[in-house]
Amino acid sequence: MTTTVAHDQVHAIAQEVFAAMVDGDLGLLLPWEGELPALDDALVAWVDLFGDWSGRAVLVTAEGTAQELTRALMGLHPDEPVERADLEDAFGEIANVVGGNLKALLPNPGTLGLPRIGSDLPPLEGAVRALHLPLSWRGRLFVVDVWVTTAAGSTTEGAS
Amino acid sequence: MTIRAIVADDSRVMRQIVIRTLRQAGYDWEVREASDGAEALEAVRADEPDVVLSDWNMPNMTGIDLLRALRSAGFGTPFGFVTSEGSPEMRATAEAAGALFLIAKPFTPESFREVIEPVLA
Repeated sequence: MTTTVAHDQVHAIAQEVFAAMVDGDLGLLLPWEGELPALDDALVAWVDLFGDWSGRAVLVTAEGTAQELTRALMGLHPDEPVERADLEDAFGEIANVVGGNLKALLPNPGTLGLPRIGSDLPPLEGAVRALHLPLSWRGRLFVVDVWVTTAAGSTTEGAS
Repeated sequence: MTIRAIVADDSRVMRQIVIRTLRQAGYDWEVREASDGAEALEAVRADEPDVVLSDWNMPNMTGIDLLRALRSAGFGTPFGFVTSEGSPEMRATAEAAGALFLIAKPFTPESFREVIEPVLA
């Protein structure tokens, strides 16, 4: 089967997640303009999708940005320290919600794995990155990628 | 009378967000937390609440297995899902198993009120 998940749809999901969980405003997650900076301290969160359409929803950002997101999610003050467990929990939960909403776009949704966190993305056998969406959250790089296993279908990029 | 609730989610951060959103929606409930379905099942057995709000996808015991286990054990506790997956298929599965509602993440205090008010208030 062939399934199309467009840039616009994934951007809309990410915007809705940030508006409801982080900012209370739809307009703070914008397309990234210009060169992508290197992330020396990248943190990656992902969830795998299994079924007729199999793949992975991936979030990548700097650890400092993930800390800011965690503070926002937990209602912490800007100078409050963020525990590592809370950082992983919060960033993973954002990936979980993005993955769940991505799954809802699919015609024959299967199952969703549990969120995972790491400094690198482990390989997913037979998968290709089908969508790459660099976004700017308050001027900080926040990337949403969608990987799809080639045996299950293809994902094409729509107009952004 | 204060409503007594159990909030089950494997994410501690999400449990906090659910509890905060309940308050923002105007529900000053007494909440106990469970980190998966098995823990929630034990908490209901120990002291049945007025309502269970549960995530779907959790380790050890999923939310739908929790609901089915509760009904099999004779608990008719009002039950609602708060989950990142709100597809029509999952809503139908939830309803067939006896769930009163399904709130899809991301949610707002308004979306809590829309589904909770008609069934609990």
